[in-house]
This record gives sequence, C-alpha cells and structure tokens, in this order.
Amino acid sequence: MNNIWITTWYTVREAFARKVFLFFIGLSTLAIIISAIVVSVLSDAALQSSITVHNQNLMFDQIVTSIELMIITPLISLGILLAIFSSASFVPHMLEKGNIDLHLSKPISRSQLLLGKYFGGLLVVFINIAFLVIGIWLVISTRFWIFNFAFLYVILSVTFTFAVLYALIVLFGVVTQSSVLGMMSAYFIFLILSPLLYAGRTKFGAIITSDFLKSVIDFFYYLIPKTSELIGELTVNLAVGQGIVDWQPILTSLAFMLVALGYSIYLFNKKDF
Amino acid sequence: MNIIETKGLTKVYSSSFKKNKVQALVDFNLNVEKGVIFGLLGPNGAGKTTLVKLLLGITFPTAGSASMIERDIYDYKTKKEIGYLPENHKYPSYLKGGEVLKYFGRLSGMNGASLDKRIDELLELVKLSQWKKTKVKAYSKGMMQRLGLAQALINDPELIFLDEPTDGVDPIGRKEIRDILSELKSRQKTIFLNSHLLSEVELITDRVGILNKGRLLREGTVKELTEKKEEYKLVLDGENTALDNSGFTKQSDGSFLVKVSDINELNKIIDNIRRKGILLKEVVPLKSTLEEMFISLINESEKAVNE
Repeated sequence: MNNIWITTWYTVREAFARKVFLFFIGLSTLAIIISAIVVSVLSDAALQSSITVHNQNLMFDQIVTSIELMIITPLISLGILLAIFSSASFVPHMLEKGNIDLHLSKPISRSQLLLGKYFGGLLVVFINIAFLVIGIWLVISTRFWIFNFAFLYVILSVTFTFAVLYALIVLFGVVTQSSVLGMMSAYFIFLILSPLLYAGRTKFGAIITSDFLKSVIDFFYYLIPKTSELIGELTVNLAVGQGIVDWQPILTSLAFMLVALGYSIYLFNKKDF
Repeated sequence: MNIIETKGLTKVYSSSFKKNKVQALVDFNLNVEKGVIFGLLGPNGAGKTTLVKLLLGITFPTAGSASMIERDIYDYKTKKEIGYLPENHKYPSYLKGGEVLKYFGRLSGMNGASLDKRIDELLELVKLSQWKKTKVKAYSKGMMQRLGLAQALINDPELIFLDEPTDGVDPIGRKEIRDILSELKSRQKTIFLNSHLLSEVELITDRVGILNKGRLLREGTVKELTEKKEEYKLVLDGENTALDNSGFTKQSDGSFLVKVSDINELNKIIDNIRRKGILLKEVVPLKSTLEEMFISLINESEKAVNE
C-alpha cells in the first residue's frame, strides 16, 4: 500500500511540474473570478422573475443551482479534455527505457507501480476539478447565501467519468508505450461515440426501424463507457439533489473501467522491457 | 555462498509480426560468490544487459531458472537488498538530485531521518553535495552517472548491478568510482559489473565472465584468463649467449621465450639449461592483457559459429 502511495504522490508531483495542469488551475481561477464578478452584479429580484422552467418560476435555491450548473457544465467538459491530454503520457513516460528499468529494479510489484500511476492521475484530476467546483460553489453560495451541498457531488461524478476514460488510456499506454492512441480513443469515446450511442438509443430510437441496427447500437452502448450520461444526466441529478436515478450507466462504465484496468495490469505483469 | 545462481537461463526475443527470433541468452549457467567484484564482458549485443534484466525481473526468461541471495528472481521483495545502475538511466527531470535519491530510497522501503542521513552520506561520497538542490535536468552526463551510483547504493544493498558505471565520467571520476567499488568490496558487498572498458575491469574485478551471442565463453579470475599456459619467459643471469642458437626466441631485453606442450617439457628445458651451467634468474609464465585475450576469444567464437 505504501508503494502505491509513493508512486501516486510522485505522479502528482510530475503532473504539477507540467505546465498543462498549472494552465488548468489558472483557467479555473480565471473562471472563478469571472463568476464572482458576474454574480455580484446580478439582482435577486430580476433573477427570480427571469428564470423559468416550463413557464413556472423557480424557487430561489433552484435558481442558484441552475446558475451553478450553467457555469460549471462547459468548464467540466473542458476540464475532462485537458485532463485526458495531460495525463495520457504518465504511463508511456514511465515505460521509457532507462526509467522503467530503474523502477522495476526496486522492491515494488508491477501491479503496485501501475496502480500508483493510475491513482496519481486520478488524484491530480480530482484536485483540479475540486478546486474548480468548490471555487464556483463558494462564489455563488456566498453571494446568494444559499449553500447547495449536493452541488459538490459534481466533483465525484466528473472524477469518475475521467477514471473510466483514464483506465482506457492506461491500457493503450501499456500496450503501445505511446500516449497518442490512448488519447485519441478517449477523445473519440468522450466526444463522439458515447453521445452518438446515447442519442441512437433515445432521440433516434424511434426512427431506427432495423432490429439488427438496434441490436448493434445496444451492443456498443452497453460495451462503451457512458461518459455522455455520466457527465450529463448523472451530474445534473446529483447537483440538484435528486441523487442517482439510474444506476445502469454507472455500473456498466465501472465494469468497463475494471476490465480495462485489470487487463492493463495483466499485460504489464507479463511484459518484457 | 553463491549470491547469484543461474541454471540454463535462456532468453529468446520473438515478435508476433516477424518470424525471426533473437537468442539473447542461451543456456546460461553462472555462479557468483558473495563479496566479489564480478565483471561481465562482451561485445555489443552479447546479452550482458539481458542477463541483468532477467535477474532483476525487468524481462522474463524463456527457459531456465535463477536465484539471487538464495531467493527466486520472481520474488520482487529480494530487491530490497539489491542496487542497480542501468545504462542510459533516466530520472524525473522535475526532481532535484536529493529528491531523486529520496524517491528511489522510499521505493526501496526507506524513509524518515535515516533516509535523509543516507542521502547526505551518498551525495558526499559521489561528490555531489553542492548539487543536492539542483534539478537533475541541469546535470552533466558525468554527474548523472555519479547520481546513478548513489541511487544504486541508497538502500545499502548486498548485491549491486552496475551497467557501464564509468560511462561519461572523466579519468579522475573513474578512479573515484573504482575506489568506491573497492571500499564496497571490503564490506563484503557483491558487485556485478557490465563494462566495455576492459582495462578498468582488469583493475578491479576478482572474476570475469566473457559472453558472446548469448553464450558464456569463459569464466574465471583475470589471472586465469590472461595466463598463456604454454609460453614462458626465461631470464638468465648476466649477459649470456649460450642459448642464442638454441631455437628459443630471444627478446630485446636479453630474455628468451619458450613454447612448451606441458609442464614436463618446461622442466626438461630447465634441466638442460642448468646442465650447461647457465644460471636462471627467472621463469615467468607469459600473460596477455585482458583485451588481447578478449579479442582472441571473441574472434575464435565468431570463427566457430561461421564454420
């Protein structure tokens, strides 16, 4: 356990030595400052009358949560994109000749080494997302003096979404010893495949008449992590205090993550360097 | 006690896409005793690094078995007592010299004040104390090599693998590294050295193994390997011309070279010389340098393979 923690901690250090994570922190700070300026000039009464859902005025605490979600939603998507970009090279970098030899000559098992890298990447993204979400939450909550603690669950849902994609990045990192394929696959799933499969089952479900095509879409839908739903519905439901409405996207994505990570560990334990 | 034992260790690299296979190590048997400096010599691609990687679990054997410190090589906990300086090692560039040692010290199971003390001692030993707080990306090749040696010694290991430890180090630095290795030997540490620098290996090793194309060609002490068993130098007392036309090769220093088939023939020659009343001052078995022996052995082995 100590070995995993050491590797995790030094992965965090490695991450913060890279400019991209500092860029993300800088961007988050800027977003928090801009949010603070924007919400400071908003009038409570104007807000209450202007924000409606289905032509019904919302309660004030719901308005505050809506503002929080409006600000955080584009930022967390950007955060995931940056996190994929900056963490994709952790494993390939460790596997470089001269570096991996040193690590494997120490009394640490290969599984511990890989898990340390995995948890290190997760911890960095968790810190970044937590900084952003807590910052936005504090700015808005102190302005309106309404503290929606459920909003903080966004940190967990976003970190979990990243954890699923990062397991895939680690797998590709172990197999190819390069960051490119892992990064491209994660982007492809996050930006294209997952939203498309979700839409294929919901919005376009009625217009797809072929049973075979429906089966194909279903197969891939259950196979591929549901990042679109995790970052969308799940995050919103958690933020507004509804909790987890549908466990299926979480459990199937979790299964994907465990299989990808388990297979990475299996391959890493067999690999010659 | 043997600190390293290999039995039929074999490594074949094969690719899923290519049909050809590379035999990096073939039926390799070796025993290294505790407390010696063992030098493994061989041309590029001989299998020296592969052997170390197999022993350290960096790569896996195709066949055979091996143990270190009386434990199977698959037991990663054995590495608590092992140090390794790989060739072309890379350290995290964002870390400072002292932090590199701290990181690898912690991975070796050390921590706290004892680790801090050890780091200071080792930086002093490799003369990098004033560079402790400098990021390693500013280090020269020689400094990286010194830091690498300190890293390999961080856990005060029983068995130390050094792959080209003096690579990029200036002559004074090399002497200092040799002194460090001698001091380690005096503390009963075992050192396994891979090097191209035959003259250096000759200076510090107790035993040498010569490897080519994955096969161990010879193994023994430097003396055993460099002795030319059939050639002797005879040094006569004073200016003596009695043997000038005897068929022996006269050297420029006045001594004579004799080639014999065995020790009996040598003694017969000595008896004949003594019967003539000639006084012998010295009978010296001839030695080649390690380099000469190495080149001749590798050439012989290449010739045998080609035939």
